[in-house]
Amino acid sequence: MLRDIKTPADYARDFRKIKQSNVDLKDINIAYLSSYTSEILEPYICVELAQYNFLAQHYFAPFNQFEQEVFDKNSLLYKHNPDIIIIHNMLEDMHPNLVVRFSSYSQSELCKIVKNMVSRYESILKAVRENSNSIIICINFSAINFQTNELVHSLTMHKKNNYIHELNIKILSLCSSISSCYSLDYASIISQVGLSNWIDQKLYLMAKIPFSQHGQIALGRSIARMIHSVKNQPSKCLVFDLDNTIWSGVIGEDGISGIQISDSYPGNSFKNLQRTILKLYDHGVLLAVASKNNINDALEVFRNHSDCLIKEKHLSAMEINWNDKATSIQKIAKKLNIGLDSIVFFDDNPVERNLVSTYLPEVKIIAVPTSHMFYSDALNNSGYFDIISITEDDKNRTKMLKQNLNRDELKDNSRDLSSFLSSLNIKVNVDFVTDATISRVVQLVNKTNQFNLTTQRYSEAEIKNFIELGHIVLYLQTSDRFGDSGISGVSIIKNNNNIWLIDSFLLSCRVLGKKIETAFLCEIISIVKSKSAIKLQGQYRPTLKNDITSSFYKNHGFKMINKKTNTWDYDLSSVPKNIDYIKINKINK
Amino acid sequence: MTTFNTIKQVMSDVFDIDINDISEDSSPDNIEKWDSLFHIKLIIALEVELDIQLTPEDTMDMLSVKLIKIIIEEKMK
Repeated sequence: MLRDIKTPADYARDFRKIKQSNVDLKDINIAYLSSYTSEILEPYICVELAQYNFLAQHYFAPFNQFEQEVFDKNSLLYKHNPDIIIIHNMLEDMHPNLVVRFSSYSQSELCKIVKNMVSRYESILKAVRENSNSIIICINFSAINFQTNELVHSLTMHKKNNYIHELNIKILSLCSSISSCYSLDYASIISQVGLSNWIDQKLYLMAKIPFSQHGQIALGRSIARMIHSVKNQPSKCLVFDLDNTIWSGVIGEDGISGIQISDSYPGNSFKNLQRTILKLYDHGVLLAVASKNNINDALEVFRNHSDCLIKEKHLSAMEINWNDKATSIQKIAKKLNIGLDSIVFFDDNPVERNLVSTYLPEVKIIAVPTSHMFYSDALNNSGYFDIISITEDDKNRTKMLKQNLNRDELKDNSRDLSSFLSSLNIKVNVDFVTDATISRVVQLVNKTNQFNLTTQRYSEAEIKNFIELGHIVLYLQTSDRFGDSGISGVSIIKNNNNIWLIDSFLLSCRVLGKKIETAFLCEIISIVKSKSAIKLQGQYRPTLKNDITSSFYKNHGFKMINKKTNTWDYDLSSVPKNIDYIKINKINK
Repeated sequence: MTTFNTIKQVMSDVFDIDINDISEDSSPDNIEKWDSLFHIKLIIALEVELDIQLTPEDTMDMLSVKLIKIIIEEKMK
């Protein structure tokens, strides 16, 4: 049994609330011309349109009399001054026998029926166009109400389906010939709900309502989305993240062979999303990347991963660096010379989405579902890129805009993030490694590439040995208001006659950009001080991946004492500057 | 919520009236909006909220809140 998220009673309640509320919605007058009891759709269309900031006022022409209204310049239809006129007739109301007794008609009769129907629509649409400036939405035909699951000679069935299909194509080309007139495909709306759930015989026979409550909801939603896309410009640019968004895994950590994009689970889910993104490219949407990564890691995937369908040529802008995403999106907007309001942002990380919506409220943000299985659906269903017509210009827009790019390097907009970061309620827990935590610690030590000062790899036995020898092995656990990130940092500090050396210091990339490393270091300083340390030193060993940590010691008040070994010394008499928005859970030293 | 309260809540939302203005004696005679279209809206909402199926004959017999209550309680037995 099909279940909708909202019931008809929920819609009735929301409809009531919308009518009573003072929220500033844009009025939109809708007139409905139909061969059935279309009044039933009012709450559904109204509630769905409120999501797009429209307040719908409906006029329903008395059913089956709408031609009189259309041809009379002074009719109530035109007095309502509609912004949108929806025309929806059931095929069986136009021709009661056509669908059920299709085989009884000769070829020439069938041709005549189509001809008559199209010319009837032509005169209706032309009259509406002459008498009103409204947008016309014409919902086409389906044989749904008499679709059966009997087995018939397949040629007969194909002939019937093909006949209706041809009728719809004629209606579509008629609509295209009239300005501001669009066709909406009825059969695709029905297919969302499914044949067996579409019809409610009681409603159909008693009240001339040709669809069930599920159908009412689906049709209301489709009409609202259609109105939204007719009235609003589609967004121009999709900005998306890379790691765990268009591929599974983190390129900086897992490497090109570790990330997943493929034809089997879970890589196929990400490949599907890539296809959907490229469909938008085909429709003229500009694509841009905003990702916290080393640029060369990302480029390697675009260039050398055979299953990565998105290539550099599809991208109009790339912000692959360690800037926050709000800065990156602003740079993309400037580079492409488009407004922030025409940008849509897709990122698996709710913290990034929250940051962007806080700083750049104009940017549209896709509510990315938790499971990657639904990423592609989320993008398709957002409605931000709905286009009711695709022109050759649209297809070329990407190329044109790309050529006109202003490639001036923009100055970094340093942004005060502390107000955002403090709203995250970050909590940090630093503690000595135990048997319960050691396996995750070993995993991090051997997997972390980017934020890793020395990239020393150790086995579980080696780490246990350090603890026995009196060295300190710490883990860091973080959480914020979006959830618990678990164990996401490790440090090993070795003791040599009270000269303490930070042998390892690393953080998982999912907690970067919040200055958690500073809090971690402060805690380490306070621990070694309590152990009456004479000196605290640190080392940096550059690798291909850990460039982001190259200035770590310098930025935290360490002085270089050996250039060759890249060793740094901390003045233990100074007091480290803590991060005020991070709450540290102190351990018992 | 009791069945009767659910019925009243649904009616209040569908007819856009205060729940306290609905009693067993409420009927199309004293609720202005209660015409044939709103009767169908009410039936659709009640079927989903109470997870019941009403026949056309049931719906035609539901001429007041009292009758709606009796017919629905009979269905839910």
